[in-house]
Amino acid sequence: MAAIQELSPDSDRGETRPPEDEIEGDDEDEELDETLLERLWGLTEMFPESLRSAAEVSAQCSLSVGKKLYSFSRSALWVGTTSFMILVLPVVFETERLQLEQQQLQQQRQILLGPNAGMSGGMPGMMPPAPGKL
Amino acid sequence: VSRITKIIMGSVLAASAPSPPAAGPGGPGLVSVPPGFTMPSVSPVSVPGSSSSGHQETEPPLSNPGGFEECHRKCKEVFPVQMEGVRLTVNKALSNHFQVNHTVLLSTLGDSSYRFGATYVGTKQTGPEAFPVMVGDMDNTGSLNAQIIHQITDRVRSKFAFQTQQQKFVNWQGDAEFKGEDFTAAVTFGNPDVLVESGIVVAHYLQSVTPSLALGGELVYHRRPGEEGTVMSLAGRYTGSNFIATLTLGGAGVHGSYYHKANDQLQLGVEFEASTRTQDTSVSFGYQLDVPKADLVFKGSLDSNWVVGATLEKKLQPLPLSLALSAFLNHRKSKFQCGFGITIG
Repeated sequence: MAAIQELSPDSDRGETRPPEDEIEGDDEDEELDETLLERLWGLTEMFPESLRSAAEVSAQCSLSVGKKLYSFSRSALWVGTTSFMILVLPVVFETERLQLEQQQLQQQRQILLGPNAGMSGGMPGMMPPAPGKL
Repeated sequence: VSRITKIIMGSVLAASAPSPPAAGPGGPGLVSVPPGFTMPSVSPVSVPGSSSSGHQETEPPLSNPGGFEECHRKCKEVFPVQMEGVRLTVNKALSNHFQVNHTVLLSTLGDSSYRFGATYVGTKQTGPEAFPVMVGDMDNTGSLNAQIIHQITDRVRSKFAFQTQQQKFVNWQGDAEFKGEDFTAAVTFGNPDVLVESGIVVAHYLQSVTPSLALGGELVYHRRPGEEGTVMSLAGRYTGSNFIATLTLGGAGVHGSYYHKANDQLQLGVEFEASTRTQDTSVSFGYQLDVPKADLVFKGSLDSNWVVGATLEKKLQPLPLSLALSAFLNHRKSKFQCGFGITIG
């Protein structure tokens, strides 16, 4: 448009250009605040109605499903954690403690009686109680 | 009505000593039928080995099936008991026959209380237990629970129990139980009041049909000035190699329970209850874990009402101390209750 206008007498264009610039500037100023969104929204109007409504419905659906999934996973995590804490954790603690204690006892016995002492064996240095044999 | 009997039975049973094992005849392989009963139509049993018919059917002797209330007991014992607050119990045995216990209960929901209880076990010894057994305990507000259990003859055992709320008598009941060769019959009179003509009569009967199957029934007759009614229910119990399945059908609803002993350490129980009065059903699953090396008994339960609970009992060696912790969480109402107790002696 600017090239065509330049062919016409410069004086007229010169006078009217600023107002056009101003008008264009005004329009640009007004449109700058909402231009992007409105322009994009305007672009969607080119799609057929059924596609637009289908897209809207699926978007809403997925959003609500996402929300439900999120809240479900939150409550499931809470229920699972507290139930596990009540039903399973004390037994786990106690059996671990028992194992540690038994390990400790075994270690102590090993230190005391030498490295070859088994769990259920007697003391290796003890004489067999058979006075008759002696 | 069965709720009233359950309350009576439950409160009395809860305070009673653990029931003794079934006193079976333990005789030779003969089935002696009590007079008045007709044998089911099987080949007549004589000394095993000499069968007149072609079938080599030697029936093992039918032992006493135990009491009627014991049917669901094995499964119920697997489930944890809800506790709240702090409970301290001191048991002191003063002699071979007499035992005293003090209980201090600090409660978060209700009133705290102190209970004093005494147990006397008599000198007449019949089998593994000695009779008479007298159990009583008294509250700091003056409420008294008392029970007297006595073995009148070889086969008849009777029990009297009463309960007062401060000075007023709330429950009083007496019952007599007859243990036959292969059946048990019991009659209970609950709150009989001759002046007002009210009371509850409960009759129980349990018969061993085969060594693993026991069938029985319960008849409840209740009477108040102006109304009277009867409730009847049938019960069946099947005992397998490592499981017990019980079913009770009646006017009050359906109650089924299944007890399974997986191994020495793990016992499982599943319970199904449908009540006609409250019109609701519930399924509960419970398990009991015994770790004798750690002196630990752990019971957990899972309910269809979204209730999760567990109880842990641990003996603190070498002192004669026993610690009990319990936690119950109701997911639906988002309510949590925990409690612990210490038993000394």
